[in-house]
Formats: sequence, C-alpha cells, structure tokens
Amino acid sequence: MSAISTEEQQAMCDSFARLLAEKSGEAQVRAAMETSLGYDPALWAAMAEMGLLGIIIAPEYGGIGGGAVLLECLLEEAGKHLLCSPFISTAVIAAKLISSSNSDDIKQEVLSAICAGDQVIAVAATGDKGQWTRDDIDLQAEKKGDGWVLDGSASYVLHAEGAHQFLMLAQTADGVRVLAAESGSSGLAIDSMQANDPTLRLSQVRCSAVKARLLPGVDETAIDGALNLARIAQAAEHAGGVKRIFDITIEYLQTRHQFGRQIGSYQSLKHMAADMLVEVETATSAARHAARAWDAGADDAQTLISLAAFAGADAYRDVTAQAIQMHGGIAYTWEHPAHLFWRRARTGLWLFGSSDQHRETYLASLENA
Amino acid sequence: MEQQQIHPDEQLAADVNAWLDANWDDARRCERGMDKLDTRSWLTKLLESGYAVPTWSPEWFGLGLGSKQGRIIDKILKARHVIGRSQDRYNLGAVTVYRLGSPELKQELLREMLTGSFSCLLYSEPNAGSDLAGVRTKAEWQAGPDGGEYVITGQKVWTSNATEATYGMLLARTDWDVPKHSGISFFIFPMKQPGVEIRPINQITGESEFNEIFISEARVPARYIVGELNGGWKVLQTALAYERLIMGEGATERQGKEKGAEPPLIALARKHGKLQDPVLRQKIAQAVAYRQLNSLNMQRAKAEILANGSSSLMSLGKLAMSRIQHGEARVASEILGAASLLDGQEFPDSADMNFDSAKAYMNSIGGGSDQIQRNIISERVLGLPREFEVDRNMPFRDVKSG
Repeated sequence: MSAISTEEQQAMCDSFARLLAEKSGEAQVRAAMETSLGYDPALWAAMAEMGLLGIIIAPEYGGIGGGAVLLECLLEEAGKHLLCSPFISTAVIAAKLISSSNSDDIKQEVLSAICAGDQVIAVAATGDKGQWTRDDIDLQAEKKGDGWVLDGSASYVLHAEGAHQFLMLAQTADGVRVLAAESGSSGLAIDSMQANDPTLRLSQVRCSAVKARLLPGVDETAIDGALNLARIAQAAEHAGGVKRIFDITIEYLQTRHQFGRQIGSYQSLKHMAADMLVEVETATSAARHAARAWDAGADDAQTLISLAAFAGADAYRDVTAQAIQMHGGIAYTWEHPAHLFWRRARTGLWLFGSSDQHRETYLASLENA
Repeated sequence: MEQQQIHPDEQLAADVNAWLDANWDDARRCERGMDKLDTRSWLTKLLESGYAVPTWSPEWFGLGLGSKQGRIIDKILKARHVIGRSQDRYNLGAVTVYRLGSPELKQELLREMLTGSFSCLLYSEPNAGSDLAGVRTKAEWQAGPDGGEYVITGQKVWTSNATEATYGMLLARTDWDVPKHSGISFFIFPMKQPGVEIRPINQITGESEFNEIFISEARVPARYIVGELNGGWKVLQTALAYERLIMGEGATERQGKEKGAEPPLIALARKHGKLQDPVLRQKIAQAVAYRQLNSLNMQRAKAEILANGSSSLMSLGKLAMSRIQHGEARVASEILGAASLLDGQEFPDSADMNFDSAKAYMNSIGGGSDQIQRNIISERVLGLPREFEVDRNMPFRDVKSG
C-alpha cells in the first residue's frame, strides 16, 4: 500500500518529533491556543515543507503516498506535543475525500494545494446532534443548472475560521454526497462555537443558497472511509497524548516528596500507575493494529478501527483524569499542562462519534449474521 | 554448477521426522512395534535421541541447538502427538536442576526426571503467600554419609499434581538468625516417603486442583540442595522466571485460537433474547473489547520479544486478564438475569457463569495477586520506589508472623 520504505517512514516520524520538540513545546501550544486562528501558520508551513501534509496523497498530486501506518506514527508524535493544527480536517479527511473523487481536475487543483500548505480545508461532517452519522446531516444540496446549491447548517466544524475552502457533507437525492464551497461564498455564514478545549476551534456553518460544486465519484462508502481514517488518526493522537501525560505523571511521582518520601513510594499511587500503564499500552496497541488493518484492507478493519476509537478515547479520558488527581493541587492550576491533555482527551470522546457509538459498531461487526 | 543446498532447519525437520517414522507409531500414539504406550520406555528412547531437551548441551541429553531449532522440533512433535516434547521448557523440575544444580546432582537426578518423574512446587505456605520469603518450613541438618541429610517439618499449600509427583521443589528455612531472604535453601525433595501427607483443597469452584502438604520429619539428602546452602531465594527467582515464561507463552497461544470465532457473550445474549438490549450491548462490547485489546498487547509483546529479546508488555497480561475474566462473568450474569440464581446440570448456562465467576479469582489471586502484580509493574517497569519492608534486614527469628 505504502510507496515508501519502513526506514523512510521512521525517519519521517523522527524528524517530525524533532520539529514538534522545537516548535510545539508547551509555551508555543499556549501561544497558539490564544490566537483566533488556533494554530501557528509558520509551523503549518514547516510541516508542508517536510511533506507531512501529503502523507496520504498520491505522488502524482504532490504527496508521498503513505498509508495509515505512517499517519498513525506521525500522529502519535502530534498527540504527545498537543499539536494545534487543522491537520486532521485538511490532510486526512479532506485529502481522503478528494482522493476518492474520479475528477482528475479537482485532484490536480486541490490535492497539490494541500501538499504545498496553501489550502486549509474545513469539513462540515455532522449536524447539530454531533453524531457524525449519515442521518445526522442537516445540509441539503440540490442541483441547479450546471452547479449545486447548499442550504441548511452543520455544527462542530473544525478550523472553519481561516479555512480557504469547505467540504460539506450534504443530503442529496442520491444519498449523502460531498460538495465543495469557497470560503467567502455568498450565503455562507460561520459562527464560532466556543470550545472547552482551548486548542480546538469549532464553528457552526450556515448555508443559504450557497453555490457549490459536487465532488464526483465520492459516495457514502468513500465518506465512511474518510471518517474512519480520521478515527485512526485521532486514536493515534490519543495514544501519543496518553503516553506523554503518563510519563509526566510518573516523573512527578518520583520527584515530589511528602512525609519525607517520594509520593511514588505510596502503594495507593503505585497501583493507580500500574493500572494506567495497562491503559496507555492498550491505546497504543489498538491504534497501531487499526492502522495496519486499514493498510492491509483486512476483513476485520472496521472492528479494529471502532475498537481503537473507543479504547483510545476512554483510555485518554481515564488516564488524564487520574493524572490530575495524582498530581494534586499543582494540576488544578491553569499553568500546569495536565488540564490541556485532559481537555484534549474530553474532546476526543465526542469528535467523529462517541465511545458508545463506536462500541455499538464494534459489537455489530462481531456478530455472526 | 551450483549445488542445491538444503537449509539446515529443513534438514533438522527432515531428520526429526525420519527418526519419528522409525520410532513412533502416530496412529497408536506409542512407540513403534508396541501395542500401547509404555511411558518410561518411550521417554527413555526420546531422551537418547536428544529431541526431549534439544537446546541442552550434548553432555546432558541435549543437542546444543538454539531456541529457534528447539521450536522447530517442538512443532513437529506436537503435530505428531508425541509424548515428552520440549522438556527443556516445560519440565520445571528438570530445568531447575539443569540450570542451577551441581554436576553430581544432574548426574543423579536428570535422567529420572526426564523419563516420567513429575515434580511439584512446594513454595507457598499458609503464612507465606504474597510474602513468599517468609517461609517457616524448617530444614535441620543431621550428620551422616554423603554430607548428611536435612530433616524437614512444616506445611506447604497450593501444590498441584502432588499425588503424582516423585519430587517436590521445596523452599525451606535453613538459617533463622539472618534476614528472611538470606536463610532459605532450595531442595529437590523426595515426595514418596513417610512424613509426607497430601490433602486435597476443596476450592470455591467445586474443583480440587490443589493440595495442602503436611511434612513431618521427612528427609532429603544434603546433596539435593540446588545452588548454595542459604542461597535458595536466588534459585527461586530463576525457577519463577521460567514458570512465568511458560505461563506467558500459554496465555498468548490460547489467545490465538479465538480469532475469527464469535465471542461467547454474543451467542449467550442471542440465546437468551438479550442481544438487542442497548444497555447490555454496551457492556458486552466492552467485555469483548478488553479481551481483544489484551490479545493486541500480547501480539505487540511477541513482536518486541522477537526484535529486542524482551518486552515489558508481558507483565501487563496477567493483570489485564483479571479484569477480563471477572468482567466477562459479570456481564454473563447480567445477560442471564434472575437465572443467575440457579445452578447445576439442569441450568448449564447459569452453572457455567457461576463457575466462571468463582474461577476468575484463580487469575487475580494465584501466581501473585493483582495487588502484588501492581507492585511489580510499578517497581520493575515504571521504576517507582520499592515497597518498604519492616522485616527486610531483621533476623528472621524476630519477624512477626500470623
């Protein structure tokens, strides 16, 4: 599946890790999350330069033709550093949706712009219920003459402000389809929704007779595929993030002293740590196996992707929650990073479907019909 | 002209198969030319071929092969249902004597241990469970020929295969005036003698897999000490490492068999008309997921072991298994509802669930409780400080017990 060797993939992950260590440290994350854009455009440009925005894009459109395994490896690094960026919406969902199209013109135009870092693309993929299912899409698209017209609204749109283009999932006479609209189009309104996670940017997008063009050849199966790839990407971020906050916590247990001894010598905390390690390793195993199954086109790919989605999200939630508890008062301050991981984890519980939804999909995939 | 070279591993497999063709009756599952299996005769033959303990040195019944070649032989013997395979891994008593015993001890015991003599474990005591170094079984030296002998008195517990065993691997205290880890010796203890009484333990599952052993002035030759006198704790660590290795391998092998099959909880829910209950579906999914996630961890562990020789993930499997087993039994009970009150042959699903609910403690207590396992993980994997032990440097005579 992947056009590049294992060694090259590892080298890419290593250089990405170095870039993030330099440009996405805690202070830089805090600076980026205070801006209205929500990310650092210079870092985004550096990622484009390294070829990271075209990981899953085919070489003929300027990408490197990598698979989910490479994506997973890179996003573990992103998760460790709480990277703020429109990566998943632009370089994963949008890149995958457009790659699924059978229009070479659109692919030439948009995919190469994504690779170059010239296009940030917001994807409107769910309605007000925030379920990321086919039913929960409130946008309607209708063919008018040569083009299409969009009406209705979408919620929880990632990085809509600052996006150059929108991909909208909309109900059509043929089922759910994807339509592209330029930002600034007449009738397109963006209302920012304040997010609990300060590293996140969410908006509601309202359309009133917005002119759009259809992504030809992208059907519901392709849409499900793009959202599944986003779930793998997010599971990888969770795996990286949960490992990092765990390491921070273990280090604290070894350096903080109370009653004349390291707090990590108390069994109550040691036992919590042992249980958390099971969660940390499990999140990693699940994300990596899901990525491998995707690349192999395995029969149980949906099973493993849904499993990684809820196991990773739940592990991240539980471990970050315990991390704050184990740190005590210091982690109750805004200045301590634990709450940033905790907020990111709480975000992951809902983006692209809830853990309960993933559990249901997982179980259904295991039932002998 | 280039000669077609046969790979050494293929040659080995061909040799093993040829030897088996000549000596093993696959259909009757006994020695070729015999009507039925004579265990000792067959195991002697297998021992002399070198295939019983292929990774051991030729001096001690082996072929000096690597572990990869050992596995090739194991696979063939397993496929042909041959008795006595891979004793260099599975025969715990023999492995302990081979690794840590003196040449004289090996000379005296190995052949017998490898040709059908079982060994059992005499480690735990009623007052030395999690704190195994607190053993109080007494070993007192008495002068005599060949270095004399030790007189053993005490009680051991949680011993399986005690009735069948010829030898017990015995942990006993030989010095009471030094700290607890420093006064223990490791004996190969003959089980068939006066003064050894075996009583089965009735378990909460209704089974009796384990026994209590009451030892009253039984004897063991001084030359049957493995390792140094008072050096038993070190020997035990090696023996336990082998035991865990085998348990770990067993766990990953069992995982492999489940692939592709529908998880039993789904079938149980369907059978009892509960598969569409959305609350139960969530619980079933979570229970099934924990098992699959552990299997994914173990697959990663295996890959890491192949690449680096070890994996810290292995130590997590046992702890994870407790949550899996207790959790599955709980969900099964929720599927059965009030039928969980029932038991016996007339209500097999209830009986199975109630059995599993009790059996889950075997994993969460046996072989080191979950709480001990959490100490081990936090100390050895995460590097957190060791648990404080009041009695660590105290003469054992003064240590409180009870």
